[in-house]
Amino acid sequence: MGVSFVKVYKDNCNRLFLDNMVKENLVKDVVKEPYKYGFITDIETEKIAKGLNEDIIRLISQKKEEPKYLLDFRLKAFKKWQKMEEPDWAGLGYKKIDYQDIIYYSAPKQKEKISSLDEVDPKLLETFDKLGIPLTEQKKLTNVAVDAVFDSVSIATTFREELAGHGVIFCSISEAVKTHSDLIEKYLGTVVPASDNYFAALNSAVFSDGSFVYIPKGVKCPMDLSSYFRINSGDSGQFERTLIIAEESSSVSYLEGCTAPMFDTNTLHAAVVELIALDDASIKYSTVQNWYAGDEEGVGGIFNFVTKRGKCLGKRSKISWSQVETGSAITWKYPSCLLLGEESVGEFYSVALTNNLQQADTGTKMIHIGPKTKSTIVSKGISAGNSINSYRGLVKMGTKATGSRNYSQCDSMLIGDQASANTFPYIKSQQPNSDIEHEASTCRISEDQLFYLQSRGIEFEEAISMMVSGFCRDVFNQLPMEFAAEADKLLSLKLEGSVG
Amino acid sequence: MEIIEKIKNNKLIDNPTEIQKICLHKLQSSPLPNPKSELWRLSNKSKFSNVLDYSVNQKGPKFDMPYPKNSQSTIRLTIGEECHIKLIKENYSIQQLSEDELDKYINKQISCFDQNENWSDLLNLSLSCAKNILGLKINGSKIPPIEIFSHASSNSLNAKTLVIFLEKNCNIELLQVNLGKDKSSLSQSTFLSLKENSSVNHGVVSYGEEGSNLLNSINVIQQKNSEYNLGSLHFKFNYARFEIRIKQSVGNAKTNIKGMQITKKDEQISTYTKIDFNGPNGFLDQINKSLADDKSHAIFAGSIIVPKIAQKTDASQLSRNLLLSNLAQIDTKPQLEIIADDVKCKHGATISQLNEEELFYMRTRGITLAEASKLQLSSYFKEIISFIPVSKDRWDLLDKLLNEN
Repeated sequence: MGVSFVKVYKDNCNRLFLDNMVKENLVKDVVKEPYKYGFITDIETEKIAKGLNEDIIRLISQKKEEPKYLLDFRLKAFKKWQKMEEPDWAGLGYKKIDYQDIIYYSAPKQKEKISSLDEVDPKLLETFDKLGIPLTEQKKLTNVAVDAVFDSVSIATTFREELAGHGVIFCSISEAVKTHSDLIEKYLGTVVPASDNYFAALNSAVFSDGSFVYIPKGVKCPMDLSSYFRINSGDSGQFERTLIIAEESSSVSYLEGCTAPMFDTNTLHAAVVELIALDDASIKYSTVQNWYAGDEEGVGGIFNFVTKRGKCLGKRSKISWSQVETGSAITWKYPSCLLLGEESVGEFYSVALTNNLQQADTGTKMIHIGPKTKSTIVSKGISAGNSINSYRGLVKMGTKATGSRNYSQCDSMLIGDQASANTFPYIKSQQPNSDIEHEASTCRISEDQLFYLQSRGIEFEEAISMMVSGFCRDVFNQLPMEFAAEADKLLSLKLEGSVG
Repeated sequence: MEIIEKIKNNKLIDNPTEIQKICLHKLQSSPLPNPKSELWRLSNKSKFSNVLDYSVNQKGPKFDMPYPKNSQSTIRLTIGEECHIKLIKENYSIQQLSEDELDKYINKQISCFDQNENWSDLLNLSLSCAKNILGLKINGSKIPPIEIFSHASSNSLNAKTLVIFLEKNCNIELLQVNLGKDKSSLSQSTFLSLKENSSVNHGVVSYGEEGSNLLNSINVIQQKNSEYNLGSLHFKFNYARFEIRIKQSVGNAKTNIKGMQITKKDEQISTYTKIDFNGPNGFLDQINKSLADDKSHAIFAGSIIVPKIAQKTDASQLSRNLLLSNLAQIDTKPQLEIIADDVKCKHGATISQLNEEELFYMRTRGITLAEASKLQLSSYFKEIISFIPVSKDRWDLLDKLLNEN
């Protein structure tokens, strides 16, 4: 997410111009670029002992000065988690995780509570500069407000005052627990209950921080909100929790980026994201996930086991997920929509790219409950190297979902003869007055197109990059401008050396 | 589940054959399929246990043919009727497989059985006695159409097995008719082996009466340049399960499948297919249609597996479903598992109701609602029925279906 693009966005009246600029600059840059987010920031962190038990949960809760209802929520979740079994139905192969060997709380040491950005550890700010997320003035130009979560604790949220002027609350979830306890108590765990699945239960018990967004009635959020997650120590898991509430007739676009340094151990990331959209509200949630994927031999990398779900509670509400998944040793992620409100809309646009020994099992669930609900699924999977890339999705029409519609499209591209691409769509209908369409296809890079591009003097890797980018176009068009540029660059970076 | 108890206690069959012994032994360790596995998860538990509630009947009583035989050349066989088949004509020969050949082949099959995936076959081979196993070896050309009947008798479970070896360069038309009786279960397992350059037009028509159950499975192994065309129709069963497993053992083979299942009342009919491409240049074109009415439940799960060796595979799978009632349910799950990179694979699935605009158009032309929907249904059925061999000239399945409706 480079600052150098800012100027281009500022005069983004001509998108084609942007695209060309980006392509020319980016594709050349990326060749032979190593995983550039793989640095470790040397700052003092406060960690608690490894392991998981009731005392640890009480300690986390105490450190965060949480009210009793939240501690009860955590303990209840922990009890449920203890009774659950780690799922294995996805057919993923990985070494069993030792849950007692993880540090569940790790925070950069801060002596006092910070009141302004100047007081934040300069080393931390430097880290964010390296990441390309300036928390300072520069960012103002891009009109994006950022909440950065470093290891487990949210560091600083920019533009808070400007947002507050519109009545928008954008802060870390631990802060929201203190200042907007009523909202947290009312909505936390209503979309993804603690007992939903193994990793959601674990997250509910030990979540350390995350973002909280509240958009009041009738407000169109004046800027895109963004959070950046980074895991900085090899032995701590990251369990952040995001809660976004859009009141009647409001709208918000939220961006999320993820990076991690290179470690030869596997690090667990088990996040929960809950979205709630009331009447006529709309939420757009975009992710560019580039956790460290492990090396070419498959050593190290992040286990990305995430539960993301949105609830379209109100009439004509809309939730749109768009994601570019390029990192993580294993991704296991199904951003879903519960379409309860009449005429509510759910969307899912995804690009998942796997290389080397990565495994990605991703897709969505569209549960149509209310009448005249609509959903669209567009999923593009690209597998290279020895990786496994699966689409796993569920479309369900309940008995009351009259006049509902779903359209799904899953395309896979295989690069090399060692990679595998699987499609597991699951369709269930109990409502005759509804229509469901699903189509899937698998292809490889077309030799004719490659020949054509090369005969026009375009280099091999660049040609591949252009074709992959064309394959993903339907999804990139849905991403916010800034992310679309980064996504394109990420894909070509990831594919480097895997073709030919 | 009387049968399962007997299997556990080894009291099911007196004097079992070698094959029965092996299968019973496999079943004894875990007599029932895992209800959590994808293949059995959606099975209605009470209906499934009803399948196993009858005692085993090894005798098959006489039954009425569903339609007259009016073509002299057609060969008709009924599994379970004692007869010795040996037809040696100028162009072709149809002979019964010797016991050795049968044992050898079935044993080879059992060795790669999976407890969940092949549970229906394991049960079938445990129960079906030598008399109820029909093995045929077919050779030659210009072979007349063959019809094979398999039927259940009331208040019992009947197991029938069919094994067919098709020799090189041999083409046949084969129609299998499975008839259910009131309050009965029929277990039918079919094993087909297609040698090089052979081709089969295979039709499977299964229908029952109220309260009849069916476990029907087809296992096909195709050698290179063989062609297997299957048209199937399943309707009127309290519980029916149709499993198709096809393996193109060295690739270069063609498979076409057109299947349909119709469910009414509170019936549950499911189709599971698994197509394994084990070599390059394989071809598959599959369409499966379901129609669910009243409180019934129709299920389709199809998987296509393309390993690295199966380059240049061209496979397509389509699941089309009509949901006609608020209380009916359809589950469909087409699957692709692909490793080879130079392949063309696609699948699609739709669930909808009868097209209202078409209905409206016909009604403005003076056609009544009932007639108009009949017309729509007949066009929906026709694509499948016209693909079922042998029957299409003489046995009007379309009429039978529409009048049942």
